Amino acid sequence: MPTLDIEKIKKEVVDSQLWRSVFRGGVWKDTPRDRAGHIIGNVWLHLHPVKVRPRALEWLYTWGMGGISFALYLILTLTGVALMFYYRPTIGLAYRDIKDLEFAVTLGMFLRNAHRWAAQAMVVAVIAHMVRVFLTGAYKKPREFNWGIGVLLLTLTLFLSFTGYLLPWDQLAIWAVTVGTNMAGATPVLGNEGPLGSLVGMRINNDVRFTLLGGTMVGENTLLRFYVMHCVAVPLVVGILLILHFWRIRKDSFSAAPYVANEEKVDVWPHLVKREYIAAAATVLFIMVWSILQNAPLEAIANPNVTTNPSKAPWYFVGLQELLVYFDPWIAGVVMPGLIIVGLIAIPYIDTNPKGVGYYAWKERPFANTLFMLGVFMWFALIYIGYALRGPNYAWYWPWEDWLMPKAAPPPTWSVFGPHGVAAYSMLLGIPLMGAVAAAWMLLPKLIQKELDGKKTMGAFLGAVALVAAVGMALGKMGPIEGAFLLFFTGASFYYGFVLPQRHIRALDWPRYLVTMVLVISTMSVLLKMCARLAFNIKYVLTIPSISMNF
Amino acid sequence: MSYRKAFIASNALMLAAFVWAFAKDFNAEWKPYQKKYYQMAADEMDKQAAAEKDGKKAAELKAAARKMRRSPLEVKQIISVDLGRYDRCVTCHVGMDEYTNTTLKNTFTEHPYKAHPKVDTALIKAHPFNKFGCTSCHSGQGLATTVDGAHGWIKHWEKPMLKGVTIQGSCVKCHDNFESIKGAEVAAQGKKLFNQHGCQGCHAINGKGGVISVELGDISDKPFERIAGYNFKRVRIDGKELPDEHHNSHWNIQNWIRAHLVNDPAEVTPNDPFAKLNAEPIPPSGMPDFTKEISKDEADAIVAYLSGMTKEEVIPYRYHVTAPPAKEPALTGAAHGKFVYQKYGCQGCHGLDAKQGRRRFNALADGQKEYDEKMPEAEQFAQMMLGAEPTLPKLMGTYTHEELVRKIENGVSAADAKKWSPKGPMPMVYMPAWKGKISKAELDDLATWLLSIGVKDDSGF
Amino acid sequence: MSETNPNPAPDSTPKAPAAPVAAAPAKPAAPAKPISRGDFLWAGWSMLAAFFAASAAAGARFMFPNVIYEPSQKFNAGQASGYDLGVSTKWLNEQRVWIVRTPSGFYAMWARCTHLGCTPNWWGDQNRFKCPCHGSNYTLDGDVIAGPAPMPLWRTKVELAPTGDLIVDKAVLENKPGKREHAPYFANYASA
Repeated sequence: MPTLDIEKIKKEVVDSQLWRSVFRGGVWKDTPRDRAGHIIGNVWLHLHPVKVRPRALEWLYTWGMGGISFALYLILTLTGVALMFYYRPTIGLAYRDIKDLEFAVTLGMFLRNAHRWAAQAMVVAVIAHMVRVFLTGAYKKPREFNWGIGVLLLTLTLFLSFTGYLLPWDQLAIWAVTVGTNMAGATPVLGNEGPLGSLVGMRINNDVRFTLLGGTMVGENTLLRFYVMHCVAVPLVVGILLILHFWRIRKDSFSAAPYVANEEKVDVWPHLVKREYIAAAATVLFIMVWSILQNAPLEAIANPNVTTNPSKAPWYFVGLQELLVYFDPWIAGVVMPGLIIVGLIAIPYIDTNPKGVGYYAWKERPFANTLFMLGVFMWFALIYIGYALRGPNYAWYWPWEDWLMPKAAPPPTWSVFGPHGVAAYSMLLGIPLMGAVAAAWMLLPKLIQKELDGKKTMGAFLGAVALVAAVGMALGKMGPIEGAFLLFFTGASFYYGFVLPQRHIRALDWPRYLVTMVLVISTMSVLLKMCARLAFNIKYVLTIPSISMNF
Repeated sequence: MSYRKAFIASNALMLAAFVWAFAKDFNAEWKPYQKKYYQMAADEMDKQAAAEKDGKKAAELKAAARKMRRSPLEVKQIISVDLGRYDRCVTCHVGMDEYTNTTLKNTFTEHPYKAHPKVDTALIKAHPFNKFGCTSCHSGQGLATTVDGAHGWIKHWEKPMLKGVTIQGSCVKCHDNFESIKGAEVAAQGKKLFNQHGCQGCHAINGKGGVISVELGDISDKPFERIAGYNFKRVRIDGKELPDEHHNSHWNIQNWIRAHLVNDPAEVTPNDPFAKLNAEPIPPSGMPDFTKEISKDEADAIVAYLSGMTKEEVIPYRYHVTAPPAKEPALTGAAHGKFVYQKYGCQGCHGLDAKQGRRRFNALADGQKEYDEKMPEAEQFAQMMLGAEPTLPKLMGTYTHEELVRKIENGVSAADAKKWSPKGPMPMVYMPAWKGKISKAELDDLATWLLSIGVKDDSGF
Repeated sequence: MSETNPNPAPDSTPKAPAAPVAAAPAKPAAPAKPISRGDFLWAGWSMLAAFFAASAAAGARFMFPNVIYEPSQKFNAGQASGYDLGVSTKWLNEQRVWIVRTPSGFYAMWARCTHLGCTPNWWGDQNRFKCPCHGSNYTLDGDVIAGPAPMPLWRTKVELAPTGDLIVDKAVLENKPGKREHAPYFANYASA
């Protein structure tokens, strides 16, 4: 019996014309040349560099989140294309087709679950990736542009998820999208309900919301538009930006800093590629198991006449929805998200601190890291409040309270400077006063040249607020809870919005300083407005109804 | 762990997860039912073959049994294009699938194997399954292929399968003449009771009837989103709470209607009479307590009748069976007046035969104590519950015929009510203006009858 | 026949072909300035840019549908005499409008919360509209008394036709006190 010479067969196969025509290169000898050739000669792998720094292989450095996001994008593409075979985007059929996927299509339910859960996971992964990149200073020169592309990709990820939300055409979908798209109607100038909108002739049937919906309400056109955006237009743009994103990582080189000077780089094949594979496989496994155990939600068929109670946006937008409680739609739905996107893109250009590129550096970048993490924390805190603590009628329910039990009607709200407020002459008193406070807050941290003593300053500030609270309590205007609210929110705003900037960025040049302060003060204004509403039922601090300007 | 091991492990786990997912999908809930049906049906045929003396017939039966046993498992459905039904009920209820069970009859007694009862009756002959589907009559979720899903015992399916006599409500959807057809007797009784107790005095159906409360012409479409959940929690049926799960086998529109008949509505919807949650006090549901007048079976009949009140379902005109409006008895004078009183549902508030006014929360009535601010809340509540609509015979002495006609024509606004507790809520119920709704001739006779039953006022006024 | 025609067709008069011929010698008379490569490219680029800009503008315009399959914004709400004092939810399902009758006449309100467009519910017992989405509360007049809504409910145009029918037009809206109490947002109707 002839012995089977595996090596000989292998060589014959690899040397055959067929094999050679498909795979370039010969028998694998694991030489450095082979390893490099594997990366360079393979269209799928050549977006990698041939070698990377050892730190780039560290799980605790990268968290694997960039790769996992891309893996999820691929899962979403595959499951999404599969779902398209059974889904028809019309009002009469969409909901039924989802029911069919659930009940009558082989693996239909599994695919729908996988698509749904991978979309949610991708939002989380992309945000985590951004946090990692920020904390390791990987956006700094020369990677500013790629950070900007990353921010756009995050925005598009959210938009993709949002457009997909409508497609099942159930009550969850129609009301989440109604809440979401009405924010667009509040866009200044371009929206019919936004400030200045009516001045330039914006009506319900010609503004930016109308374009988005393809009509004046969420209907047949909207479903088709969202379908096309979800399945074709946005994935195409995301794909192009992804190529650009990867290409720039390759060209700008990976951010990880060397452990020691003149350290030897390691081969991407196999060291990085095998890690990527494990991350991707774990992602696929995670999504599969999640999809087996948990079904995607599907509520009753969409009914424009029956509003669900409470109506909530998709969870990643619930933070913005919670902001809508405190601010007018054009601020909460347009200005705030706009500031977040523009502010994120601007970060690399205003952060001139050269330290902390390619490693975690809390001590070297205290201001940047603290405020960025505060922003991320606030985003998720608002999501938690909106998602878990808001019950029917959007009333505040603690986790131990039953949503079925009725709540007292909300107390009447009032405005400080406005027609019915304490000072009726908003123009005369409110605008100058508010302007003066804002200007002082903007300028003082830089104008005070000497670094303030943090403890003493905070002590003095909290003492003053406590005095105000004590007077308020003595006059019966507030109780201890309101006092605590006041102390906490103003204290936090003062610390993060005044003491920290004064300590760390007063040396920044004026343009960068002012942009930074605008972003910082906007963030703090959220805290302050939450305090004003939750503790004192203040609707607006300043309202000028004639031009729909309310703050 | 080395990456080589992780590579092998992750691939093995992915494969395992895929097999798990596929197995879960493959082992669909409906398959064992269909499989068992084929077996049972084949066994039955084998039994017949064994008993059959004619050899050729026995062989045929055996072959048929073999074929039945080998039938492929598949999702079966009835498509009713006209009614927009896609009903997969026959996937499990194979005995009701006319292609598998051509006679539509079998000897099985258990669901889902048993055949549809009464297939030989005119009722079923007139409603062939392949034309009407299943859910047109039974409701439920036709697209579903799971037990809970198909019967609608899940969240977010608002039309669960109709139980028991309630199914007669489905006759009402198309048959305007349902009162005279066989098989819809319970729904017909429901309509009779509805009018007899004066429900139409407050509730209109398709625009006919009072304006005090909800229009019931589409009551079975009422979204649960519009029923506060905690009100369901207060419902008692047979003295028991509805099972505390927000899925629609219990928290459904049938039980919501029933709740108003077998409970005191003021207990189901107590609202906020002492302004604990709101700036102003809000009276409990204005609907009177019918528990002493309407038995449980009668309540079921009314539920059956109202279950047919839908506007959501689009039914082609040729499926409708029209009926001429019911003839009114030829009566004159006071006798006609009494008929008019019932026709417009005056008894809904003023009581059967105008004998005793029903509850009107926080209105002034006989037998109440004097209002006292210091009275405990529970006692105040009890006093407010004693408030009542006028008992008409007691009032009649002070009216002339013309005055009475005018009063009925113009009604009495809610704001004019004399409250027992000045701090309490304004009564929810009021006397609407009947002008234009009750014809002049009817009004005259109504007034005549009312004056005839009035308690004569001999006090000298 | 052509004495008033300012733009005669080229072949309508024998003179027409002569004109360009007469003008033609004038051009070569100007000092010949050779077109440089740079200038030519500039022209090319600008035309390409114009083409892109025009395409983008047309693309934006393309996204505005010229016709939409939505029901007409106008509807006939029936006989005015058929309404009782107070809020009627008769048209809520079909038209998303409340008809409110006051002692002096009618106004109609669009049942759309000014916060984010949910449909508030009328709570007759509490005399207010309550929005289930974010908890805005409105009075019978449509003014905000609680919740995040930034402005009062919109009132629609409402007219009393000579036939006694109420004609409601949801495309014409107003919510400013002082304006909304007058025509065309209020239809006078003496109570019977």
